[in-house]
Amino acid sequence: MFWYHWMMIVSLAISMLACLAHIIKLIRLGKPIDYSQKAGDISSAIKYSFTKAMSPAKKESAYLHLPTYTAGIIYHLGTFLSIFLFFMIILDLHELLNTVLDIVIIGFLALSTISGIGILIKRLSKKTLKALSNPDDYISNILVNLYQLATAYVLFDSSAIVIYTMITSALLLYLPLGKLKHAFYFFAARYHLGYFYGWRNVWPISNHKN
Amino acid sequence: MGVLTEEIKQRGLEVLSSHGNSKLLTHLNSCVHCGLCSNSCVYYKVDADEHYVPAKKVDIVASIYRRYNTFLGKTLPKLTNARDLDETSIDELVDLLFGSCTMCGRCTLHCSIGVDIGYVVRKGREMLSAMGYVPKTLQATVDAAIETGNNMSISTEEFVDTLKWLEDDLQYELDDENANIPLNEKSKNVMYTLNPREPKFFPLSISAMAKVFYAAKESWTLSTEMYDVTNYAFFSGNMDEANIIAQRMDTEMKNLDATKCVLAECGHGSRAYKWEGPNYLGRKLPYEVTTSVELLAQYIRDGRIKLDPERLSEVVTLHDPCNLARSGGVIEEQRYILSHVTKNFVEMTPHGVDNFCCGGGGGQLAMSEYNERRMKIAKVKADQIKSTGASIVATPCHNCVDQLTQIDQHYKLGVKIMTLAELVADALVLDEEKK
Ligand code: SF4
Ligand code: SF4
Repeated sequence: MFWYHWMMIVSLAISMLACLAHIIKLIRLGKPIDYSQKAGDISSAIKYSFTKAMSPAKKESAYLHLPTYTAGIIYHLGTFLSIFLFFMIILDLHELLNTVLDIVIIGFLALSTISGIGILIKRLSKKTLKALSNPDDYISNILVNLYQLATAYVLFDSSAIVIYTMITSALLLYLPLGKLKHAFYFFAARYHLGYFYGWRNVWPISNHKN
Repeated sequence: MGVLTEEIKQRGLEVLSSHGNSKLLTHLNSCVHCGLCSNSCVYYKVDADEHYVPAKKVDIVASIYRRYNTFLGKTLPKLTNARDLDETSIDELVDLLFGSCTMCGRCTLHCSIGVDIGYVVRKGREMLSAMGYVPKTLQATVDAAIETGNNMSISTEEFVDTLKWLEDDLQYELDDENANIPLNEKSKNVMYTLNPREPKFFPLSISAMAKVFYAAKESWTLSTEMYDVTNYAFFSGNMDEANIIAQRMDTEMKNLDATKCVLAECGHGSRAYKWEGPNYLGRKLPYEVTTSVELLAQYIRDGRIKLDPERLSEVVTLHDPCNLARSGGVIEEQRYILSHVTKNFVEMTPHGVDNFCCGGGGGQLAMSEYNERRMKIAKVKADQIKSTGASIVATPCHNCVDQLTQIDQHYKLGVKIMTLAELVADALVLDEEKK
């Protein structure tokens, strides 16, 4: 193992510990105690919160903004794919991928990076979005774009491993600090929504209700 | 407002940093600034200004949280736009959280992540309240409730007088001297509550409900001590005052030894007592708390009242109060009731859980300084009503009645605004001998 492998492993360890600290804090704090009379089915509502409530047909953030929504989905899929490949790379398993698969993956990562850049351009050019943004939003976007690009590049040319490990390490270290931590806060938010609406029998929404 | 001392500031910051559970921490850390919630908010829909994006309301609270509670916020505040809590940010907070949000929660359903925006706004209001920055107009409404027992400062004498003539009219209309509006009677099945707007401006909605109770042969009473279903401290964010108001209702339920507390047609009032009340008090309530909407639906289901849907020929539409439907789970009952009072019902688009706020929620009706803005955002509701073609707008909330009445005048809609109790009372088929 070379120094850059170690750098990436140390970054991963620090990142995971910091993320774990966030998660443990959330778990320790737990859910709110509600003294009102429960009216609904919380487990079904939490399930609904993670499934149907997330469907594009249910959310204006999706169906009123289809190009952005689609770009966002592709971008996130690219990130998940890059994370999967990250583990293959550190476990030295990426050699198992054949050329055709490599090309497909590189192609998809290129597409997801373009989606990420598209989102960045939108953030820079739309007045309302620009007003909402702070440097962390740009840094997070750029880091993930670079990460996906570096993943594609290292699959294409394994000599790019140094640059890949440097970008990955930067991303890992930044993950628990800025907005990228929505990677785990997202789950807590959906849980809380499901719990709240389930308690009051608002979710799951039946056809009659809407 | 006074000078922002360090002690006052700490009181505000304490609201954001003390976590009894993970809910606030979660929602303060979840927004990704995608801005996709903008079109879900009535404020942004009528004025596409960045100021009105729902996430902006979350972000100003979260930015203060970040400044004092996160590593990046403490060390490199500019990086995450972590802001100091000072006079400038407080002015912005007041305008955004009190003046630009009805806490309707619609944006929450549509948020790409699931940030409970209404909840964060509420916590932000709590923070402002802890520092003494509640708009005076809203605070005056809370003060009136605390000092006089109802938010309209109606004296007991005036209240009893109003009920007396309503009772006389009811007896005359029903030709039955047993048609009563009982006051302070003990051990009844129902202790009914009112929105003080009823005795003050819409007394006929009280007789409508009294007529329904009469038809259903309900054992019920009103209290002169505590009948106000509203709790404006829920909007001002003062938890101590919210507790005092809820405590009074609880005490009166016990004093009168009633079985069921029935909350009048009031969206926030029913939320504030049924759902938030037990949490203000920190304990479960030892009696049933229900809304009059659920009770009316139950009477119909149980055959305790009979209604004639043919009597009403006009087209009726329904406005779902946000706090009753989206945050209270009462969604099908109002439709069930309306299906028994009219054959000409038409839904608004969107409706139910997804309905748009009328613009009067979140205490907006009490904050006259935002009147112009309130009527401007009401355009969304006015357009919704217009496109139904209805001539009657039913709504189970007296605050919404007030706002919808103003919308009707402002946008010249020419519609009639009615509560469910009024519609039900008009459709009642009374026993032969009681006609
Ligand atoms: S809670 Fe309602 S009024 Fe407030 S930001 Fe969300 S949609 Fe707008
Ligand atoms: S949709 Fe949700 S995550 Fe996106 S900006 Fe609005 S509140 Fe934030």
